Parts: sequence; C-alpha cells; structure tokens
Amino acid sequence: MYGLEAINASNGWAISVVGVTIVFTGLVMLSIVIAQLYKVLALWENPSKIKALFKKKQPEKPREEQISNRVVFAESQKEVVKQFALLVRTMTDHFSLPRLLQLALISDLKDPYLNLNNLFKTKIIVPDGSGFFTWDKDMFDKLVS
Amino acid sequence: MSNIKEILKESSVFICLGEDERVSLAQLFEKREIQAGDILATAEDAAQYFFLLNNGTVLLAMDEGKSVVLNKAGDFIGFELLSAKGVYRTTLTVLESGSVFAVPTQDFLAFIQKESVAATAIMTAWQGYLDKTASFAKNIEDISLPYNF
Repeated sequence: MYGLEAINASNGWAISVVGVTIVFTGLVMLSIVIAQLYKVLALWENPSKIKALFKKKQPEKPREEQISNRVVFAESQKEVVKQFALLVRTMTDHFSLPRLLQLALISDLKDPYLNLNNLFKTKIIVPDGSGFFTWDKDMFDKLVS
Repeated sequence: MSNIKEILKESSVFICLGEDERVSLAQLFEKREIQAGDILATAEDAAQYFFLLNNGTVLLAMDEGKSVVLNKAGDFIGFELLSAKGVYRTTLTVLESGSVFAVPTQDFLAFIQKESVAATAIMTAWQGYLDKTASFAKNIEDISLPYNF
C-alpha cells in the first residue's frame, strides 16, 4: 500500500492535524509570551513596581476603619476631644475653626493645635464647603465616647 | 517628598509647567521647617512670601471667621488665598509640624510677569485648585494683574 491509501489506513490525516494543532498552539503561546516580555523587563528595571503591584492587591479596608487606624485617641486625648466638644456646643452648628482654636487656647486645652488637627483628620470636624465647619456627632461617638 | 522640583511636579497648580520653567521657578523657593503653633503669615502684615506645602497641616484663617485646612503635599498658599495688594489678608497657622517651601511674593510675581505662557497655565490651574479647595475665597476680578496679590 502506498500514497493516500496508506495515509488513510494509518490514521495519517488525524495524526497530521493533531501535529499541526500542537505546533500552531505552541507558536501562539510563544508569541503571547514574547509580546508580554516588555512588562517583565520593566519590572526587572524598576523593582519598586513589584511592591506597588502587591500593595494594590491588598483588600481595601472600610473607610472608617482606615480613619480610626490613622488617628487613635489616647485616653488623655479623648478628654481633650470631649473638652473640644463642649466648646463646639457653645457655638453655632456651622462654626468657625479659627474661633474654635482661639477658644481652645483661651481655655488652655492641652496641645490645641495637634488635637484640632486630629479632629479634622478623623473627620469629627468636617468642612461645610463655605469656609465653616460642622461637628460629626456620630463619628465623635464612635471614636471617643 | 522633600525636593522642590518633585513637589512642583506633583502640585496641581504647577503640574502644567515645562521642565525648564519648573527648574527656574524651583530656584526661587527655600525650604522651612514648621512647628505646630507657628504663625507663617498674619493678616494685615506686608505679604512677603507665598508657600508651597511639603508636609504637615496649616490652617488658613480668613475674614468673617471662614477658614480652610490644607494638608496635602503641593498645596499652594498664595494669590488671593493669602494676600491682596501686597498685604496678607489671612492668617496662616501651623496645626501639624512639617515643612513648607517659601517663595518671596515679589520674585514669584516677577516670574509670572516674565513667563507669560507659564503664567497663563499657572493661573488657569490655580482657578481649578481654588474651586476644589476654597471656592468661597475667590474674589479677585482680574487675575491677570499681579498687583492684585
């Protein structure tokens, strides 16, 4: 038996199709790897990007947790924050921050600048968009009370 | 960040500048350490410096009890936010220690007048920055006249 007859008899067509498929798939995969090689080279040249890559993958913590993690009030600071709360109660709902600072200085509160800054960072004091500020009682209760 | 060129590059007000302009402008700034409670500018005093925040937090107290807290690297404290006609109109108090880059107002305004293309870009970016940061402070009618500040 020779020629096409022999190919048919030995499953030659199927074998050749499988062979071509394997070779073609291999070439496609190789081309994909080469096409993405520049990214690996960029990471090789700048290793800090690898760290950034892992940082991005960390799950985002809830916003309030992030805030409370950033500024944690010590017991002594909580007392000062409560004193700030008392001062704010003597003011209007939309109060002046420089006025609050002035009152804190007059009242001789401990570390008035630092504590006012902490109140702003923890979003207990929130800007109202018109140059004045409001007191977020919920956040205050959550972080201090 | 601690390099003035990096800060200028990151600042939304100066991000529009070209490399050469940024280098020229950077030479005008000097770094200053700031401590909580420091007063960087007092209303009614002669306006000597504008400031670019590096780190820390500052409270900008305006008239009628209004104020704005600035705490991002690249926040620019100048123009109508700080002064009018050569006089500080606001008081700048440090809430959290850190550092700023100070630029003499006269040198800065001279740079603005000399580099007209850069000036236009800076003033356009400034208006956008002011809209985001303290839109209530916008009250200068003609921003093209340096003596306004």
